[in-house]
Amino acid sequence: MKFDPRTKLIMVFSLSTLAVFVIDIYLLLVVLLISIVVSNYFKENWDFLKRTKKFITLLIGIVLIQSIFSPAGEILLSINNFTILTTGGLAKGIRVILRMLIIIISATIMTGSSPREIIQALIQWKVPYEIAFMVSLSIRFIPILGEEAKDAFTAIQLRGVEIDKLNLTKRIKIYSYMFMPVLSGVIHRAKELSTSLEARAFRAYPDRSSYIKLELARKDYLIMFVSTLFTISILGIYIIMG
Amino acid sequence: MKKAYRDNEAFIEIKDLTFSYKKSPVILNNVSISFYKSEITAIIGPNGSGKTTLGKLMSGILSSEQGSVFLEGTNIKGITLGNIGKKVGYLFQQPERQLFNPTVKEEIGFAHLFMGEPKDKVDKKVSKIIEELSLQGLENSSPYKISRGERQRVALAAILINEPSFLILDEPTTGLDMIKKDKLSEILKNLQQQNIGMVIISHDKSFIKSNADRTLEVSGGEINEV
Repeated sequence: MKFDPRTKLIMVFSLSTLAVFVIDIYLLLVVLLISIVVSNYFKENWDFLKRTKKFITLLIGIVLIQSIFSPAGEILLSINNFTILTTGGLAKGIRVILRMLIIIISATIMTGSSPREIIQALIQWKVPYEIAFMVSLSIRFIPILGEEAKDAFTAIQLRGVEIDKLNLTKRIKIYSYMFMPVLSGVIHRAKELSTSLEARAFRAYPDRSSYIKLELARKDYLIMFVSTLFTISILGIYIIMG
Repeated sequence: MKKAYRDNEAFIEIKDLTFSYKKSPVILNNVSISFYKSEITAIIGPNGSGKTTLGKLMSGILSSEQGSVFLEGTNIKGITLGNIGKKVGYLFQQPERQLFNPTVKEEIGFAHLFMGEPKDKVDKKVSKIIEELSLQGLENSSPYKISRGERQRVALAAILINEPSFLILDEPTTGLDMIKKDKLSEILKNLQQQNIGMVIISHDKSFIKSNADRTLEVSGGEINEV
């Protein structure tokens, strides 16, 4: 079943709003579960989950850092009077991870719509065309930027820099070097893009006609209503309960 | 086309290699080929035939589950990119992707300084390479604000400071005029005399004709000697 991109945008907005405002871990888990079910319903690409495996150390690191810097509750692990893991800290860390997962997974709901459809959705929501176009450009350039960063990282190693042998400070420094080619590529591309946009008379007329016209069906209205109601109810309960 | 002496030991050897990008048709299908230090090998072929992919497989940037690539007899999968870079220099199609520093001088010596080599020793090497590649006067210029030909020579200089035994040059003549192509030919001949083997991936027939000892064509997943 095909849904309007605006319906998907409302769903993403509702889920990520809940991710930010909800504090209760169990409720966050429920929101995560809903995100997974919804994302799976839209049969989106789950390849990104394989990539998240690489970030497991980072996720564990986040839990530890949260726990060290905001200790609360009972001490679970300490070395020589230095508190590493507390119940409160652990809860905070888990909350951060759950929020990150909800935001990432809910965002994948949008991958089923083409960038052109997303622009159209924003335009029909009265977002100025220039801004909608900018959003779609940024979506389109993300994979290119990724490829450039990957090339820079390979090139730096092929220069004889053995990343594995470097200490943490030097390793961070080497990543900072990678910004140079990536940033120069971005600036260069932005210049070329602006020239070609001017050459094709971008913004020559105040109004633009469009070949694509999105229309909301009954099912779209229904999902939008349910998502908004669900989000507002939970937020309402939170506000009322303080 | 000139014939060169070929030593028996292949520097890079590809054995029964099959490669495809994710969800794409096979680009290289069960290919086996050897590359020698004593030769300049040109790789030609239509756009999208897999020339650059072959170059990236040879230098360990890409790897394949099916088949192997050997560097001086050792499977490339067991060697880190850092160690490959000390033996094989790879010049990207877009040299700006391999430039990381604000000045030409810093760019050339950066990797060695980073790995802890003494500055005076690195400076000596940098000066020698700057002279060899005719980059005098550009030492303090930004690698992003010089001409394409100069930028390419800077990228090449940054590779040569590692004293590699083999070079893979991806489309090195793109955007170069005749004078700059001649300059590049001269540099490559000098390098060959220093016993540095080379693979040139290119569309430029005249450049290949005057520089390469043998030519391979990549097409339809196969590699054939021309």
